[in-house]
Amino acid sequence: MQKVILFPQSCKGMEDCGICAFVCPRSLFVASEEMNESGYLPPLPPDEEKCTACGNCMIYCPDFAIAVEGGAVDGSEE
Amino acid sequence: MSEKTHPLRKYMRPQVKKTTFCPGCGAGIITQALLRAIDELGLTMDDFVFVSGIGCSAWIPSPLLNADTLHTTHGRPIAYASGVKMGLPDKHVVVVSGDGDLSAIGGNHLIHAARRNIDMTVILVNNGIYGMTGGQTAPTTPYGLTTITSPYGNAEQEFDISALVVAAGGSYVARWTTYHPRQMTKSIKKAIQKKGFAMIEAITQCPMQFGRVSKQGSAVNMLKNYKQNGIRIEKAAKMDPSELQGKIVEGVFVDCDKPELISSVAALQRRTGGKE
Amino acid sequence: MSEARRVNTGTHFMMGNQACAEGVIAAGCGFAAGYPITPASEVFNALAKQLPKAGGTLLQTEDEISAVCTAVGASWAGLKSFTVTSGPGISLMQENIGLAVATETPLVIVDVQRLGPSTGVPSIGMAGDMVQVARGSHGDYQIIALCPESPQEMFDMTVQAFNLAEEYRVPVFVMAEGFVGHMRERVVIPDESEIRLVYRKITQGGEPLTRRDFLDPEVASMPVFGRGLKTHVTSSCHDEYGMRNLSDPDVMHRYIMTPIQKILSKRDRIVEIEADYEGAKLVLISYGVVSRASRQAAAMARAEGLKVGTLRLKTAWPFPDKEVRAAAESADFILVLENNTGQMYPYIKAESAHACKVGFLGPQVLGQIHDPQYILAKIREIMK
Ligand SMILES: Cc1ncc(C[n+]2csc(CCOP(=O)(O)OP(=O)(O)O)c2C)c(N)n1
Ligand code: SF4
Ligand code: SF4
Ligand code: SF4
Ligand SMILES: [Mg+2]
Repeated sequence: MQKVILFPQSCKGMEDCGICAFVCPRSLFVASEEMNESGYLPPLPPDEEKCTACGNCMIYCPDFAIAVEGGAVDGSEE
Repeated sequence: MSEKTHPLRKYMRPQVKKTTFCPGCGAGIITQALLRAIDELGLTMDDFVFVSGIGCSAWIPSPLLNADTLHTTHGRPIAYASGVKMGLPDKHVVVVSGDGDLSAIGGNHLIHAARRNIDMTVILVNNGIYGMTGGQTAPTTPYGLTTITSPYGNAEQEFDISALVVAAGGSYVARWTTYHPRQMTKSIKKAIQKKGFAMIEAITQCPMQFGRVSKQGSAVNMLKNYKQNGIRIEKAAKMDPSELQGKIVEGVFVDCDKPELISSVAALQRRTGGKE
Repeated sequence: MSEARRVNTGTHFMMGNQACAEGVIAAGCGFAAGYPITPASEVFNALAKQLPKAGGTLLQTEDEISAVCTAVGASWAGLKSFTVTSGPGISLMQENIGLAVATETPLVIVDVQRLGPSTGVPSIGMAGDMVQVARGSHGDYQIIALCPESPQEMFDMTVQAFNLAEEYRVPVFVMAEGFVGHMRERVVIPDESEIRLVYRKITQGGEPLTRRDFLDPEVASMPVFGRGLKTHVTSSCHDEYGMRNLSDPDVMHRYIMTPIQKILSKRDRIVEIEADYEGAKLVLISYGVVSRASRQAAAMARAEGLKVGTLRLKTAWPFPDKEVRAAAESADFILVLENNTGQMYPYIKAESAHACKVGFLGPQVLGQIHDPQYILAKIREIMK
């Protein structure tokens, strides 16, 4: 089952934001080469195999562009 | 592509598709921390009235949140919110606004609301700068920092807003950076449940203005700074002040119970016969 | 909403400020905010004692800015809301009076005016704020302002101010001068059933996306908070649905014009005057406490065979332009009497100079009420 759901139209771009890439402990986020409607480069869907569903990408994404099913919202950053 | 929507979308006005913030702005992380707190408490948007002032941060509730929302003038949201609470004592009244809004032009309302201990949650979004007007020095701007209005370095000392609100009489005061959104959510939940004046000082990145003037640059670099320099209050308490230079003390500064304004007013109405 | 109301029915010998407080409670005010200031303090002092007993709440705020903001917040929470101050407090409130206008918030502000500028003389009454209440906040807008001339009218016009605020979703001012606030006179407070009260129309449901909560010249019903209406209220430029819009020139135009039209198109129902100038060659125009001297001077002049009449502006704003014009077109001379250096004079002159001569007469000494003899002397001089 898909764990990480992206809403690429909400993203404000890996270039200027890129917070998902920074907070993913598995470094699973890379930018797409395709712009969204607002002209930003959202991330590509992360590798589900490697994803631990830690929830970081969801909780830190300032633009509600990522949801993690069963994401560990109670996890810890440290 | 999935037909699913973000699980927190249900709290947002359907016609508002995007946040109003710059890429990487921490205001969105705080928005999520707030909505997650509401979600986890099992409350609905009809249990709330949101009030904000003027600034980027004041646009967190307005118009995004699908609830009764009052977007007011610069510095005054706590005063407006006090009136809302007097009229709707059973609602959770939440103020979301910036550091300039709430601690500079609106500082008087902040300390007096804390002193009265009126039941209210304030999320003070502290990005250390005037974001909306283009990067001017705020009362929270670090000493020495060069900004648009302190081109030769900020000659002023910065406000410790949490300490101020503790001293003024707040019942619950906590500070978290956007690097700690889960802790922030936990504190917002506590603040909403607290019967009394509660403030979360949310330290957040403004990559567009603060990032530029501080040369910290991107949102990610600013989050790295929070990661490196954030220090828990428990640990900070054991350290020498000189060691705390450049550190951001995080945690719960006060969590206590004392007489709250709205209940005291209701009690005196009962005493005088104005209410059963 | 449980209503806070208690009517002190009877005939009293009462200070104007106390009569005002009685009016606040008789009107069913649910929330009052204030900050101490001479010569207005007695109103809030009295409310502190009486309002909780009537089921209302009040807050002595940290300043007048907070007072007006708190009152606006309480109005959105569904309460009839009130604040009282004097000139310096109005000066502090101005930005947020603009918010109340822009968000179409029912609100009553009593201004017991004093001598300024600056701190001036707190205990001396002067009509110092006549223009600043109508034009002192930034931008273009219309409010309603009433001018009591007696303690009785402090009661009557306070109740009327609440009614107008509720009916038109607008801030309404009661422009008392310190003299009227501190004057003691007979005040008759009618039986509860004889006091007509108006309540705002409250939105009963519907989706905020399709609900026109703002910018209706016929006064939109008010989507007050706490009823699951998910209302959006903003001080910024907004459309009929309350959504912020900072880019569409048409929306900007409507955002400014509709609240103005809302008041001006109803001006015939709002504006009240007292006209007694049939056959008069000279009409004395005044408002507030000066009207008492004006009437007396006119009576004295008539006793001498001089054709003198009076026009009293019970409403200062919206400005009674038609009524002033009618007086000017029926007379040869308009003499404007004001307890200041001529705040309403330019507005009156603009409506009368086409038809007759217009003059201004302030009091002998600023801060004192005109002596009728002094007015009479001026009348004789003009009419000789
Ligand atoms: C009375 C008044 N003065 C000044 C302004 C201009 N102004 C708008 S936002 C702002 C600063 C906002 O800073 P802050 O509260 O820190 O919010 P941020 O944009 O940083 O989130 C100022 C000074 C105003 N709107 N009203
Ligand atoms: S849930 Fe955790 S591991 Fe999975 S993509 Fe998001 S941040 Fe990476
Ligand atoms: S954190 Fe969110 S907005 Fe930022 S780049 Fe990643 S998906 Fe886009
Ligand atoms: S200017 Fe700063 S605070 Fe404002 S939206 Fe942009 S990044 Fe955020
Ligand atoms: Mg700021």
